[in-house]
Amino acid sequence: MPAFLAKVPAAPRDYSACSGCSLCLLVCPMWRSSHDPVFTPEGLAKALQCGATASELAAPIAACSLCGACDPVCPERIDLSGMIMDLRRRLANALPSDSPRPALLDELHARLQQGAPATAPVASRSVPVLLPGPVLRSDPALMAQVQALLGIAVFDDDGDDIALAIEVGVEIPQQRLHAFLDSLRGHSIVAADGLLLRQLRRWLPGSQRMGLGPALSTRAAVRSNLAPSDLYVIEPRAFHGDYERMVGYYDRLQRETGCSLSLDLQRIAIPASSSGLEHRLGLVPKRDVLRGVADDDVQARWLLQGRTPARIVVESLADRAAFGRVCDLPVVYLAELGEDPEMMKKFRHAFG
Amino acid sequence: MRRFFFPGYYSSPASKRTILLNIPPVEPGTVGPCPVAPDALQGIKRQQTNPARWNGAGWEPFVATLRAAGLDLAEGAAACGVYLTDAGGTACGLPHGVVLARSAGQIALLLKAAQAHRVPVTVRGGGLTTEGESVAFGGVLLDMTGMSRVLAIDAAALTVRTEAGIYWHSLAEELRRKNLDYLSAPLNLTSSVGGTLGVGGIDVNSARLGCSADQALSLQVVTPTGDVVECSDDENPELFQRVILGYGQFGIITEATLRLRPYTPLAMHYFYYSSLRTAIEDLQMLDRNDASDYSGILTIMDCAVNLLVAFDSAEREAAFRANWKSRLRGHGELGFGLCMAGHYALRPWKLREALYLLQRKRAVFPEFRRAEYMRDGKMHDRTVVFSRAVWKHWGSRNMVIPDLAMPADRFVEAVERGNAVCRKYFSHYTLYCVGIRLRPEHRPHYEMSCIPPGAEGWVYGCEFEPMIEGGVYSRDHFQAFKNAIYDIGLDLGGSYYRFGGMMKGYIRRVFGDELVERHLAMKRRADPAMILNRDVIF
Ligand SMILES: Cc1cc2nc3c(=O)[nH]c(=O)nc-3n(C[C@H](O)[C@H](O)[C@H](O)COP(=O)(O)OP(=O)(O)OC[C@H]3O[C@@H](n4cnc5c(N)ncnc54)[C@H](O)[C@@H]3O)c2cc1C
Ligand code: SF4
Ligand code: SF4
Repeated sequence: MPAFLAKVPAAPRDYSACSGCSLCLLVCPMWRSSHDPVFTPEGLAKALQCGATASELAAPIAACSLCGACDPVCPERIDLSGMIMDLRRRLANALPSDSPRPALLDELHARLQQGAPATAPVASRSVPVLLPGPVLRSDPALMAQVQALLGIAVFDDDGDDIALAIEVGVEIPQQRLHAFLDSLRGHSIVAADGLLLRQLRRWLPGSQRMGLGPALSTRAAVRSNLAPSDLYVIEPRAFHGDYERMVGYYDRLQRETGCSLSLDLQRIAIPASSSGLEHRLGLVPKRDVLRGVADDDVQARWLLQGRTPARIVVESLADRAAFGRVCDLPVVYLAELGEDPEMMKKFRHAFG
Repeated sequence: MRRFFFPGYYSSPASKRTILLNIPPVEPGTVGPCPVAPDALQGIKRQQTNPARWNGAGWEPFVATLRAAGLDLAEGAAACGVYLTDAGGTACGLPHGVVLARSAGQIALLLKAAQAHRVPVTVRGGGLTTEGESVAFGGVLLDMTGMSRVLAIDAAALTVRTEAGIYWHSLAEELRRKNLDYLSAPLNLTSSVGGTLGVGGIDVNSARLGCSADQALSLQVVTPTGDVVECSDDENPELFQRVILGYGQFGIITEATLRLRPYTPLAMHYFYYSSLRTAIEDLQMLDRNDASDYSGILTIMDCAVNLLVAFDSAEREAAFRANWKSRLRGHGELGFGLCMAGHYALRPWKLREALYLLQRKRAVFPEFRRAEYMRDGKMHDRTVVFSRAVWKHWGSRNMVIPDLAMPADRFVEAVERGNAVCRKYFSHYTLYCVGIRLRPEHRPHYEMSCIPPGAEGWVYGCEFEPMIEGGVYSRDHFQAFKNAIYDIGLDLGGSYYRFGGMMKGYIRRVFGDELVERHLAMKRRADPAMILNRDVIF
């Protein structure tokens, strides 16, 4: 067959390919709260085309929540969230070593240099493992519930330092990265952090991976407790990082349960929160610099506008807080809905 | 140092002197000598260029006035870079500064200061023009998308009041939560309401519902001298008539009240033709008989033409099946595939053409059936599907889309001649044809617009879209192509969707001196310093 007839996914392109169609802007939470094209992936790509430097673009680079919504809509296949992560790395590298830095960054550097924590051995390479992330870890009761539902081992080294480094633009020492990836090789992975999951897709291409949200929603007990009056809020990073498959998965979920999904007309997951870098680094966002972009509740309000669900079901614990601030509706974390061990087999298609 | 695109000038690196090329200056507020008129052809190239960049006189005091009034204006590459060009990508220019629209009051203040200091203001919505109409060659760029709120939806009266910078898609997102929809809008997610009401707006239902501009019931407009005025067919009708389809010459639309309808998904049918003429005849037959809710033509190649027909309700679809389907001369996908296979089997020397057709089919057809945009066999949002497909398969950093708007009886001839022009200039191209139903009571709105003078009933529009496919073409090539298409319109008494910007030389030839002079006089009265959207029309 001639090469041009073969369905080979084309490689992602860089900002120079941006045609200015603005499709990415429509889905970007920065745009929704600022209505300022500078705070959009298109604005970044166009400014780079005009020779703007990373430091001139520091405000939008910091305000981006890395939700990944812009990636699947770009018709030029520009890896936009990858571009922003790259700009963050450039900004971080350009920072003089003696400049004042948030305490969290120093801590992160130290952890990355230290290497992996001692990991309790997991029985066999083929068993699925859970990378819960720090938020779930900090709630042992909920973590136990998740584990009971999924029936899988928790991986001690869940790579949360690596996930944070990716997000804030810190270089990951090769030794630390290889140790982490080697320990994961051969396992099926369930990860709570959508950004880490996206990177694992690139780093461990042959592996089976799944977001914690889809993993939990495969459980019969969870599914059977989803009702048509529920608004089901998808964790956007894992969804957009594996868009083609995930959009099919959630369509099936919707058909089977009748719940409504947090998708827009382009079938992009509307992020319920839009915290950028400052938030991640534990800093107070500078509202004047970000021209209003730091208003995290705009997204949650937009998700609810014109909808009247009886209950909100969230895949991400961070979203629970966002909805809690803007409405009186019951907000339930997916794992709180129930348990069943048989369904994971049935829904193997949700693994990639 | 900031670099600006500065047509007409360049710096000699050796001498560091600025050399003025021999281009006659044109005073703002005049329509210059027509560079495409037959008597203008001797000795000069038959093409147009960007207008000259505004020289910046008075910028500093102007900015000081704005800042003293608390108005935000951003300067520098990070703020201005995004506005370098429009969707066409062939006209490039940077503003001196950018203002994000936030309210009618803020815009009024901006325009008053601009009149006083004679600073040009270029208004931009989605920036989907292709002739540089929404590109600022110096001065202020006013980005209307900062005004993107839906103000009130009246589900009982089926109307919406919205800020005019909103993208049609963002409006659709809000309306859909109430199971409502707008009537018709460009098949493009990122054109704005204000930008569209100013130029037309054609949808695949325009043969039934008219153009987007026809659905505006009333507008809030900031006049070029900074007055905030409400207008409609009953209130300030002259202003309404000039602002609707007025290319932003007579005021900035800040709010609009639009008609709505209940939302319905679409049942799509596709018919394939090997003759463009037959497909157009069938399209016009359907439109005349109100046989479908949506209709349009998209060509893949001259010998592979797709007529799309769609319905809002099962009843309309059933009536079509019963009364009209058998009269269409097109085939279904399978039947057409077999015809094509036979055609190329007998012409093995056309293998390359057959492979191209196969490749386009494989790439493009699935876009119109993507599972995520279909429910129970129906298309859930036509604009999402079409716009994504258009940008993916036709979009690039350069888009050259000349068009013709013709009275129904001259449409076939115009399209066939346009097709021949496409063949001459490009290896591959696509045509997109739709009908636009005219509203007799809106005749005053149509004056000097994309609706051809004197047209009645339906006007048919055709966009000629060459596939750039990574090819490198000179601007001269693009411009010569556009001129050749526009000449057809001129010859056959048509008009154009994009007659502004780089194509403004056609205005006098299409509309005649008397009408153009009358509009120019109105413009001079409305905009004494000629600052608003300079060089788009006047
Ligand atoms: C890929 C592609 C597909 C397209 N498909 C279609 C289609 O299917 N149907 C169709 O009808 N058109 C189509 N177009 C053309 C385009 O949609 C129209 O030109 C569009 O409606 C303009 O809207 P905009 O917001 O982008 O306006 P802009 O390009 O920003 O502006 C258009 C003009 O109006 C002025 N203007 C902008 N906002 C205002 C305002 N608020 N008040 C006063 N003046 C204003 C500008 O100065 C400019 O002169 C397409 C264009 C492209 C590039
Ligand atoms: S990743 Fe999300 S927040 Fe960042 S630019 Fe893309 S859409 Fe906007
Ligand atoms: S979607 Fe892609 S091509 Fe379009 S504006 Fe955004 S970055 Fe540019």
